[in-house]
Amino acid sequence: MAKRLKATERRASILAVAKVLFADKGYHGVAVDEIASRLGVSPAVLYRHFPSKEALYSEVLDTLAAQRENYVDAALQNPDDFASVLLRITLVFAESVARDPDYLKMELLGSLEDAQVTQQFFESRWKSFTDYIEYSMREQALKDGLLSQINPRVAGLMFQGMVREALYAKCILHSSRYQDIALPDLITQLVKLFLNAITDNNDSKGENKHE
Amino acid sequence: MNTHQAELDARGMNCPLPILKAKKSLSALSAGEVLQIRATDPGSVKDLEAFCLQTGNELLSSSEVDGEFIFLLKKH
Repeated sequence: MAKRLKATERRASILAVAKVLFADKGYHGVAVDEIASRLGVSPAVLYRHFPSKEALYSEVLDTLAAQRENYVDAALQNPDDFASVLLRITLVFAESVARDPDYLKMELLGSLEDAQVTQQFFESRWKSFTDYIEYSMREQALKDGLLSQINPRVAGLMFQGMVREALYAKCILHSSRYQDIALPDLITQLVKLFLNAITDNNDSKGENKHE
Repeated sequence: MNTHQAELDARGMNCPLPILKAKKSLSALSAGEVLQIRATDPGSVKDLEAFCLQTGNELLSSSEVDGEFIFLLKKH
């Protein structure tokens, strides 16, 4: 029989179990009865803490979205150029996802079910990267006195897609295709490719050779 | 009297950008001068506390009005 818990402990245990189930099966794949039975309590106990499955799901998302990586260390270390800082903060993020891939599973499952979820995860996670990339590219363009041919927002999208796919392959799918490359090495190589892509553009800017 | 000598508008930005911009803004100030930072990311409260702890700058105040955070940082 389930042990009697204090209200806050019970609430936390419901959220923890719900997070694992929602991450595995998505919102529609999980019934309240299943969460209750996994906890060893009746559905009535669940409804005492959360009025509906939707409310519970939304709380799980809010909790995940509120978890932020601490980028302060990575941002303040030297060298402090764009490439070095970008690599360090990406490695911090990758390590965090590797530790708890449920966040990424929820984001991927939610992306087809609910656009608001995608937006919520973008704001809480990916925007750290896109903000930094956009700002740095614009600042560099101002310094050079030339406009880059690449839209910084497009570069941010490329970065997001690239890193998310790598994290999916390594932390969720555990793809054998990349099993010989450790996650930090994979991230380091991808960040290098990204930087080459936006730097090559800077080198050829203004020439319009391909036009 | 002015409470600060420089301002940084970090509204709408997520960490680490406000931290990096704060570092840059502070480098242009002299010791004892104060930088005001405005931000909207709720994570900025923790981040700027950690930033001050690591860099030795002093967080004079931190307040929130209608979802906007205002910080005063004194350069070390």
